[in-house]
Amino acid sequence: MTVEKTEELIMNMGPQHPSMHGLFRMVVHVEGETITKIIPKMGYLHRGMEKLAESRTYSQFIPYTDRLDYLASPHNNWGYVQTVEKLMGVEVPERAEYLRVIFGELARIASHQVFIASTALDLAGWTLWSYAFRDRERILDMYEMTAGNRMTVNIMRIGGMLAEPPEEFWTALKSFLDDTPEMLEEYYGMFFGNEIAQGRLKNVGILTKELAENLSITGPVLRASGVDYDVRKAEPYSIYDRFDFKVPVLTGCDSYDRTIIRMDEIVESIKIIKQAIRDIPGGPIMAKVPKVIKPPVGEVYHRVENPKGELGFYIKSDGTTKPSRVRIRPATFINIQMLPIVAKGLKIQDIVAIFATLDAVLGEVDK
Amino acid sequence: METLYNLFETLNNLFLIIAAFIRGLFADPQSVWANLTMDVIGFIIVVVIIVLAALILILLERKVAGWTSQRPGPNRLGPRGWFQTIADALKLIGKEDVTPAGADKLIFKIAPMMIFCIPMMTLAVIPFGKGLAPANLDLGIFYFVAMSSISTVAFLMAGWGSNNKYSLLGGMRAVAQMVSYEIPLLFSLLGVVMITQSFNLGVIVEAQATIPFIVLQPLAFVIFVIAGMAELNRAPFDLVEADQEVVAGPFTEYTGLRWGLFFLGEYGNMTALSALGATVFLGGWQGPAFLPGYVWFFMKVGVFVFFMMWARWTFPRIRIDHLMHLAWKVLLPLAILNILLTGLGIYIYGFVMGG
Amino acid sequence: MENNVLNRYVEELATRVNGEVEESFGVLILKVKAASVTETLKEAKNFPDAPCDFLHDLCGVDTTEHFEVVYQLASLHGPQRLRVKAMVDRENPVIDSVTPIWEGANFLEREAYDMFGIIFKGHPNLKRIYLWDDFEGYPMRKDYVTEPIEVRDVVRKRIEGE
Repeated sequence: MTVEKTEELIMNMGPQHPSMHGLFRMVVHVEGETITKIIPKMGYLHRGMEKLAESRTYSQFIPYTDRLDYLASPHNNWGYVQTVEKLMGVEVPERAEYLRVIFGELARIASHQVFIASTALDLAGWTLWSYAFRDRERILDMYEMTAGNRMTVNIMRIGGMLAEPPEEFWTALKSFLDDTPEMLEEYYGMFFGNEIAQGRLKNVGILTKELAENLSITGPVLRASGVDYDVRKAEPYSIYDRFDFKVPVLTGCDSYDRTIIRMDEIVESIKIIKQAIRDIPGGPIMAKVPKVIKPPVGEVYHRVENPKGELGFYIKSDGTTKPSRVRIRPATFINIQMLPIVAKGLKIQDIVAIFATLDAVLGEVDK
Repeated sequence: METLYNLFETLNNLFLIIAAFIRGLFADPQSVWANLTMDVIGFIIVVVIIVLAALILILLERKVAGWTSQRPGPNRLGPRGWFQTIADALKLIGKEDVTPAGADKLIFKIAPMMIFCIPMMTLAVIPFGKGLAPANLDLGIFYFVAMSSISTVAFLMAGWGSNNKYSLLGGMRAVAQMVSYEIPLLFSLLGVVMITQSFNLGVIVEAQATIPFIVLQPLAFVIFVIAGMAELNRAPFDLVEADQEVVAGPFTEYTGLRWGLFFLGEYGNMTALSALGATVFLGGWQGPAFLPGYVWFFMKVGVFVFFMMWARWTFPRIRIDHLMHLAWKVLLPLAILNILLTGLGIYIYGFVMGG
Repeated sequence: MENNVLNRYVEELATRVNGEVEESFGVLILKVKAASVTETLKEAKNFPDAPCDFLHDLCGVDTTEHFEVVYQLASLHGPQRLRVKAMVDRENPVIDSVTPIWEGANFLEREAYDMFGIIFKGHPNLKRIYLWDDFEGYPMRKDYVTEPIEVRDVVRKRIEGE
C-alpha cells in the first residue's frame, strides 16, 4: 500500500490581509491546516527613516519618530529627544520630565488598548474592538488638547515639551484614570475571560525563556516569558526611579499571558500617572537650548521602554547640525523573529493569534 | 365579542381563505392545474420570504452589531437607516461581475445559485401557519436536513472554482465542519420525532398544542442551536468565511450580484434553520389565540434569529481542532444520550399510562 | 564595582584580540577587527561575573574610511553594557555572522546587508529584508546617490548647458 502525501500549499498572507496589522506579509507553507514553514517578508512600509535622518537637522527628525510606532508616538519622541539630550548634555526641567512621564504612560495605555482591540478583532471578537477604541479615544482627545494632533502627536522637543497642557486636560486625565479599572474589567469580562478566547490563546505559541533571550526579544513579550526585565527599572531613564510601580511578569510563555500582561501594565501605568500628577512641580517646561542644535562629536546609544518593547536610538554625531548616523532599534522588528520559530506545526488560526499578541506595528517594523 | 372572534378567525385563516378562493376559480378545484397553480404561488411566496428576510435581517444584524458594540449602526439612509440594505443591494447590482482568470468557470458560476436554491427548497416544508406549508411532506425533517446539507457541496464548489488558495481552504473547512455538525443536528431532532412518531412538521406542530418541545427536550434544543449555528457557518463557528484567517473563504473572489446571492443564501439559510427550530422546539404557529398563527411563527423565528446574531457579536471564533472536538466528543455523545433518555421516557410514560 | 569587573574583562579581551577600548557616556566600547568578532562576542557572552549575554542591537555604520558593525550588548540579569565595534573593509565587506551565537541577529544582519552591503558569512538566509531583491546599490552607504539616475542626469545637463 502506498502512503499518499498531500501536496504542500504555499499561501501568501499579506500584505493586504485583514489580520496582518498593516503591510506585513508572510509566505506560509501549509499542509491542510498545519503550518510547516513561515517566511516573513517586510518592507512594504519602508520609508528609509535612517537615511532621511542623515539629511535632516536634529529637531527636524522629531516628527519622523512619530511615524515609527504610530500608536505610541510620544514614546518614540521621548526616546529620540532623550538620546539627543544625552549627547548634548542638556538638563531637562523637572516639570517637563513629569509631563513626559504622563504622556509616555498615556501612550502606553493607548497602545495597549489598541493591542487589546486588535487581538480581540483577530480572534473575531468584533465587539470588544469598539469598546477599546472608544476608551482610547479619550486619550487621543487629551493629546489633542495639548498638542493639537491625535495620532502623530509630536509633543516633545529637545530640551522639554512642546506645550503646557491646558486646564481641561487635567480634569479629563483624572476622570479617565478613575474609569480605567472598570474598563479593564469590562475587557476581561467581555472577551479574555471567555472560554473560546482562552482556548484560542492558551498554550499557543510557546516562547520559552531561553529562546526569548536568544532572539533578543524585549518588552511585554519577554516579560510574559518569565524574564523580569524592564528598562524603566533596570536602567531608569528620565525620572522613573522616583515612582513606585511593579513590573508585571508572567510565566505562561503563551499568547494568553502575552495578552494579560498588557492589562497588568495598564494598571501599573495608571499608578505611575497618579503619582506623577501628585508630585508634578511648577516651573518651565523647556530648557535653555541653543537655536541651532549642534551636538559635540560623539556617539550615544539610548533605549526606552516602548509599549511594544525596547526602542533604542544610536546617534552618531560629527559635530555638524545633521547627525552622521541615526540607528533606530525597533522593538517589534526584532520580536517578529519568533513567529516562524514558534508557529511551526500549529494551525493557520494560531499564526493570527500569535501575530496579534506580538503587537507588531508596521510603522516600527519597516521604519 | 362575536364579531371580534369572527374577525380573528378570518385573520387566522386569511391565507387559507385566499387559497380556497384561488382554487375556486378553477372548474375543478382539485384538478392538476389547480394544484400546480398553488405550488407556483407557494414557490413565489417562499422566494419573497427569503428576499424580505434577507433585507430585514441584514439591517437587523447591523443594528444588533451596533447595539452590542455601543454605536448606532447604519442610520443615514431613510428613517433610522432602514433603507440601508436597499441601497446596498442596488450597489451590488451595479457592480462589475468579475470571474477570475484561472477559475473553473462553470462551477464558479453555479455555486452561488446553488446556495440560493437551498433555502428555497428547505423553507418549502415549513408550516408558516395552520395549514400553511407550501409542501406538506411526510418526511419533512428528513427532507429539510438532506436539502440543507447540499450547501456543503456548494461551498466546496465555490472554494474550488475560485482558484484561490484562501477559498480552497475555506471550502475544505466548510466540508469538514458541516459534515461533522450534520450528525448532532439530526440526532437532536430525533428525540422530537420519537415523541411524535412522525417526520411531518405539521404533525410535530400539532403535537405542541399544550407544551412546546423545548420543555420536554431541553438538551436537544441546546444541541440543535449549537449545531445549527455551526451548520450555518455563523460565528462563533464561522471558520469557513473567517475574515482574519482565510479572508472571506469561498466568497473571496465573488463580486456584485453573485456575492449578493451568497449573502441572500446565507440569510435565507439562517431563516430556514430558525424556522425549523421554531417549528420543532418552540411550537411553530401555536400560541395564545389573540394573534394569528403566522404572526406567532414569525415572532418565534425572529427570536431565534436575534439569538444567533447576539451570539455572533459576542463570541470569538473557535479554533478548528476545538470545533471538531466539540462536534464529535461533546455534542454527538450528548445527542445520543438524549435519544436514549427520550426512549426511556417514552417507555416509562407508556408503562405508567398503560398500567 | 560591577563596572570594574567588566572593565577588567574587556581590557583582557582587548589585548587578546588586538582591540582598543574606549568609553563614552559610561559605556565601554571595544573596537576590534572584523576577523576576530566571533571570538570577541563569544567571550563577551561568557564573561564569568558580568556576562554581556543579550544582543540588544546590531547595526552597520559607514565612517567613509571603513564600515563598522556595531553590536550593543547588555544583559537581562545585570547592569553591564558593552558596545563592540567591528571594523569591516569597505572594498571587501565580509564579516562573520553572529547568528550561531544569537539567533536574534538574523533580521538585524539582513538589514545591515540590505543597507550597507556588508556580507555576513554563515548567515542562514542573507537576503535583502526591506528593499526588493533586485534593488541596485546599498542606500545607507555615504557614497550612495539618492536621486534616481535620470533626475541626476537632467540636473547635470542643465548645469553644463548654462
